Amino acid sequence: MTLDGATIEVVRSYLLAAAEEMRTTLIRTAFNPVIYEVLDFGISLYDEKLELIAEAPGLTFFLGANDFSLQKGVEYVGAENLFPGDIVMLNYPYWNAAHAYDATLFAPVFLPDEAHPDADGTLVGYVCVRAHWMDLGAKDPGYVLDSTDVHQEGMLFPGTKVFSRGKAVHDIHELIRFNSRMPDVVLGDLHAQVSAIRTGERRLIEIMQKFGKPAVDEAVTVIKAHSEQSTIDALAALPQGSWTAVDWMDDDGISDDPIRMQVTVTIADGTFTVDFAGSSPATKGPVNMPLGATIALCKVVLKNLTSPEQPSNAGTTVPLRVLAEPGTLFHAVYPAPTFTLWTGIVALELVYKALAQGMPDRLAASSGGDVPGFMMVGDHPDTGEFFAISNNDPVGWGGTPEHDGLDATIHLSESTVRSTPLEVLEARSGMIFERLEIRTDSGGAGRHRGGAGLQRDIRFVSPGEFLSVIKKTKTAPWALEGGLEPKPNQVVVFPGTEREARVSTKRVPVQPGDLIRLLTAGGGGHGDPADRDPALVRRDVSEGYVSREAAASVYGVEIDE
Amino acid sequence: MSPAPLRLAVDIGGTFVDAMELDTRTGVVRFRKASTTPARPWEGVLAAVEALGTDLGEVELFIHGTTLGLNAVLERRGGATGIITNYGLRDIFLLGRGNVPDDRMYDFQYERPESLVKRRHTAGVRGRLNHRGEELEPLDEVGLREVARQLVEDEGVISLAVCYLHSYLDPSHEQRTAELLREWYPQVTVSVSTDIVREHREYERTSTTVLEAYIRPIFERYVDELEKGLAAKGFDGRFLIMRSGGGSMTSATAKQSPTHTVLSGPAGGIVGGGYLADVLERPNVLTFDIGGTSLDACVIEDGTAVVTHEAELEHFPLLMPSYDIRTIGAGGGSIAWIDRGLLKVGPESASAVPGPVCYGRGGTRPTVTDASVCLGYVDPESFLAGSMPLQAEAAVEAVRATIAEPLGLSVEAAAAGIFDVMLAKTVGAVRQITVERGHDPRVFSLLAFGGAGPLVAPLLAREMGVREVIVPFAPSGFSAWGMLSADIVNDFARTRMEVLDEVDLDDLRRELDEIGGEALGSLREQGVADDVAHLENQLELRYLGQEHTLTVPIGEDLDPEAIRRSFNELHEARYGHSMESRVQILTARVRGIGRTVRPGLPVLPEGDGDPARALTGRRTAFDFGTRSAAEFAVYDRSRLSPGDRFDGPALVDEGTSTTVVHSGQHVEVDEHGYLLITLEEAA
Repeated sequence: MTLDGATIEVVRSYLLAAAEEMRTTLIRTAFNPVIYEVLDFGISLYDEKLELIAEAPGLTFFLGANDFSLQKGVEYVGAENLFPGDIVMLNYPYWNAAHAYDATLFAPVFLPDEAHPDADGTLVGYVCVRAHWMDLGAKDPGYVLDSTDVHQEGMLFPGTKVFSRGKAVHDIHELIRFNSRMPDVVLGDLHAQVSAIRTGERRLIEIMQKFGKPAVDEAVTVIKAHSEQSTIDALAALPQGSWTAVDWMDDDGISDDPIRMQVTVTIADGTFTVDFAGSSPATKGPVNMPLGATIALCKVVLKNLTSPEQPSNAGTTVPLRVLAEPGTLFHAVYPAPTFTLWTGIVALELVYKALAQGMPDRLAASSGGDVPGFMMVGDHPDTGEFFAISNNDPVGWGGTPEHDGLDATIHLSESTVRSTPLEVLEARSGMIFERLEIRTDSGGAGRHRGGAGLQRDIRFVSPGEFLSVIKKTKTAPWALEGGLEPKPNQVVVFPGTEREARVSTKRVPVQPGDLIRLLTAGGGGHGDPADRDPALVRRDVSEGYVSREAAASVYGVEIDE
Repeated sequence: MSPAPLRLAVDIGGTFVDAMELDTRTGVVRFRKASTTPARPWEGVLAAVEALGTDLGEVELFIHGTTLGLNAVLERRGGATGIITNYGLRDIFLLGRGNVPDDRMYDFQYERPESLVKRRHTAGVRGRLNHRGEELEPLDEVGLREVARQLVEDEGVISLAVCYLHSYLDPSHEQRTAELLREWYPQVTVSVSTDIVREHREYERTSTTVLEAYIRPIFERYVDELEKGLAAKGFDGRFLIMRSGGGSMTSATAKQSPTHTVLSGPAGGIVGGGYLADVLERPNVLTFDIGGTSLDACVIEDGTAVVTHEAELEHFPLLMPSYDIRTIGAGGGSIAWIDRGLLKVGPESASAVPGPVCYGRGGTRPTVTDASVCLGYVDPESFLAGSMPLQAEAAVEAVRATIAEPLGLSVEAAAAGIFDVMLAKTVGAVRQITVERGHDPRVFSLLAFGGAGPLVAPLLAREMGVREVIVPFAPSGFSAWGMLSADIVNDFARTRMEVLDEVDLDDLRRELDEIGGEALGSLREQGVADDVAHLENQLELRYLGQEHTLTVPIGEDLDPEAIRRSFNELHEARYGHSMESRVQILTARVRGIGRTVRPGLPVLPEGDGDPARALTGRRTAFDFGTRSAAEFAVYDRSRLSPGDRFDGPALVDEGTSTTVVHSGQHVEVDEHGYLLITLEEAA
C-alpha cells in the first residue's frame, strides 16, 4: 500500500489529537499543583516496537523522556506478561530517567479482534504518562536535598502493575497509601494519570480501527522518516565542528565543593553528538543524573536547534548521540542518589555554552544559568495541618543576536511553567511577600542586554522549614560576543542579622519574623555594550532596568536628572 | 401604548458591518452589509443602518456587537495607563506569571509583545492586608498623594488601575484609594479591581483591571459618538451592547465596564444558537462559525452555552465570563502547502488581502476556498450572488502546481486532500471541547453558520459521526440575527475558599443574597422590570487541593450534602471518577438575567414535499461519500419549502453561502425553512 501525503497528514493529526486529549484529561483531573500548574508531566504514544509516534510534553525536559522508561519497563515486566487493561508503574530512577517522585505509568494497547471479541486482540502500541508526585515516603517531607543513596528518596517501583486487566490492584494502591505523607493527593494523581491513559488507549484503538493497522504503520513510518530528514536538513544548515565547554555547579548538597561539568558537542555528518567526558564522577549527594534524563536534556537542545515548532516523534532524535560513562555525574548507577535533578538545568545551558563558540551569531547568551526554586514546609498557622508549597522563580534570559533577553521569565528549561500567585502562596503557607520587583542592573550589559532577574523578600509568620533549591549562585552565567556577565543568583538568609548568610541548596529552619531574600540572576549580554543604541540605554534607565550609574560607567551614556 | 415595532442588530466584524432589521409585527428580517471604517468606527455602523434604510424613529431596540475594545488592545491604541498597587509589588503586572506561551516552549529567543503599561507608570503604596483580609498596615494616604501626583502630573497618565493584594476579601483600601484619586484628579479614569472582579490571584485580577483602564477612555468616546449619531437620526429606543459571556447590557453600563465586551465578536451566533437549541428542542448543540480565517466552535449543553470564567486577550488574563469558544485556524483562507512530501493546511491564512487565488486579488498560494472551487462546490459565476465572479482556472492551476504535482495526485485528489487535512485538524480540536465537558460529540447537533459553515459542516459531521447538521437561513448573517434574541445579563462573583463541610450556611446565604442584590440592582439600573428579572446561583467547587473547579448550579436550598452530591456527579461525568476527599468552595457566583421578548421563529407554509420546484440544475462536484466525482443536484434555497426532502449529493445555493450535502446524507426542510441534514441511515 502507498499512502499519499494528505492521508499521512490526516493520520498524524489524529495521533497528535489523541496525545492532546490525554494532556487535557491529566491537567483537569490532577490533584497536585506541580502537575496542573507547573505542568511537570510528559505524555506519549508509542507503536508496538516502542518507538515514539506522538507526544504532548508538559515540561520541556520531558520531551521524549518516556522513551527510555517505557523501554526499561517493558523489558522488566516482559511484553508477554502484559494484557489488555493493565497499567504498569515505574519510578526506579535509573530506568525512569528521573527521580523517584516522577511516577511513570504505561499501558499496552490491544486492538480487539472483531472475529474473536473475547480474545485479547493484538498488541498495537503503548500509551505512557509520567507526572511528578508530591510524596512517596522519602527521608524528608517536600523535597530531598541531601540523600546519599536512592533508598532515602522514596518507595521504588521497578515496573509494577497498578491495574490488572482493567481492575485496580488493591494491594499496591494500599501500599502507596501507607507509604506517602500525602496519600489523598498521590492517589488522586494516580487516578488522573489512569484517566489520561484510558483516554489514549481508546483513541489509539479508534485510529487503528478507522484507518487499519497497516495504513497507520505506513503513515507512522513516513512521519518518522520525515522528522528525521527535517532534523538532518536543519543540522546541515548549522556550522559544523566540535566545541568543548566547562561550567561549575555550586555543590552536591552534602559538601560545599563545586561540581565540575564538561561537555563536548559535535555537529558532523548529519549527527549531533553530546559527550560529557571530563565531568565529575558520581557525587555523594543527590545531583546525579540518570542516563535517560541526560539524554532528554540533549533532545531539548537538538529540538530547539532543528525543529522548535514541530511535534516530536522517534525520527526527530535519530541523529542524536549521547555519551556519558556509567558511574559519572551524567550516568547514575545504583545506588547513587538522584533526587535533586537541577544538574540537568545547569547542563542544558552548558551545552549551549559549548555550541555558542561555534555559532555566537545564532544563539542567545546564558539565561540566568539555573531555575531558582524554593519551598516551604510546616504546619499551617490557621489549620495546624501539614503543608508543602513550592515555587520556581523567573530569571533574566540571555541577550540574543537580534534583541534584548526577556526580563524576569521562567528559565527556558521550563518556560511554560507559571510562578505561583502571592495570594495563593500566602494563603497556603506561613509566608508574607514584602517585595517582588525587578532587580535593577542584574542583566548583563551588551549591545543586546540580558534580561533582568528579580528580588523577592519573604517574611515568615509561622515556624517551619524553608528549602532553597538552586545550584548556580557561586559563578556568573556566561555572556557572548563581548557582552558582560550578569549578576548571578543569590539567596541571602536573615539579612541584616548576625545569622546572615548566603546559601544555595539548603533546608533552613525558620521562625516567625525571619526574612529571606532571593535575588535571581539576569541573562548574559550579547555584543559590546558600547554598541548599544543610547536611546535604549535611556529607556532602560527611565524604566528602572538599568541604573543611572551603570548607564554612565558601562554604556558610557550620561543621563541628567 | 404600542412600542416601536422594529429591532435592529448591528455587528462589526473585521471587514464588514452586518446590519439586520427585524419587524416584530411580521417576523420578517432584512439584512445588509457595509464596509468597516476603522478610524471612525461609528460611521460604518451608521452607514450600515443607512444602507438598510431603517427608520430609526421606528426602532424600539438597537443592539450592537463590537470588538472595539479588543482592537484597541491589539493595536495598542490606548492612552497612558498607570497602576497603583502595594509597596514593593509594583511589578506584579509586568512580571505576570513569568511564563511564555505554550506554543513557544522551544523558542529560546522568544520576544514578548509590547506591554500595555510602562514600568515607570507603576507605583506601590504602603498598606497591606493578609490572606484572611486582616489589615497588617493601614493605607498610607500621604504616600498615595505623592505617587498619584507623579503618575498623573509628571507622567501624564490618563487612566489608572488600582489593585491591592487580598483586596477581594476586603476592598476598603482600594475603595479609599479610588475615592481620593477621583477627588484629586476628576479627569483621570480610575478602574478598581474589586469593582470589576472579587476573585483571588493578584496578577489575573490586576490584568483584568489594567485591560479595563486601558480600554475605557476609547470605548466611552465611541459609544458617546454612536449615541449622538443615532439620536440625530431620530433613535429614541433602548441601546444594548453584546457581552462576551452571554447576553447584553445597556450602553451606559458598557461604558462603565467595557472589558465585558472585548470577546463578544462571536457571541451573537452563540446566543442565536442557544435560542435555537431551545426552540428546536435540541439540548446539545455545537455551534460552528466558519469564516475566512478561522473556525469558532462552542458547546451548548442542556440548552446553555458553555461559559468560562477566565479568558485571555493577547496572553493577558481576563477574569470575565466569556463563552468557551475554541478557535481553530482552519477557515476558507487557510493556505495549503507541502512540507517534504506531507500536505499541510494553515496556520497561515490568505486573509481578505490578497485572499484566495480565485478572488484574483494577487493571491498565488492555494487555499481551502480554492480547493472548494476545484471540487466544484462553488459556482464561479454566482459567487456572492454574482457580485464577485471567481477565477476558477487560476485556483485549479495553483492547486495543480503547488499541491497536486509535488504529491503525484490529480487536482481533484489534491483538493480533496486539502479538505481531509483541514477536517482532521478540526475534528481533533472539536472533540477536545466536547470531551472536556465529558460528552460524546455524537450526541450533538451541529449548527453551521458563517460564510463557509454550511460548506464544511456536513463533512465534519460525517467525520465525527454527528447525527445532525442544522443550517439556518442566511448563515452568513446568523451572528447579527442571534443578537436580536439577547437577554440583558450580568455576572457577579466572590472568592470564598472554604471547605464545604465547615461552611457557615447562614454566611453563605447572606453572601449569595448580597451578590444577588448587586445583580438585581444592576438589572434595575438597566431598565429590567423585577418580574422579568431572574437570578441563577452557582458555586465553583473543587476537591481540596485541586486547582481547576467545576461550576455547580444551586437552588434556594443550601444543603451541603446535596451540593457535594451534584459536584461528585459532575466530576464523575467530566473525568470518569469522583473522590472521597473534602470539597472546597472557591467562588460564589450569581448571574442576573433580564429576559428579552424573543423574536418568534416564523413558521412557513408547508410545500408539496417535492423539491423539484427549487431545482436549478446539476453540477459535477466531488462527493466525499463515494470519494469520487458525482452529479450534484443544485437547489435554490429561497424556493425550498417546509416538508421538502431530498438526498445527497446535492448543493443548496443561497447567494452568500452554499450548503454541500454528500451521498449518504439526507436533507429535510423544517417548518422554519431550516435545513436539517442527517446521515441517511438515521433519517
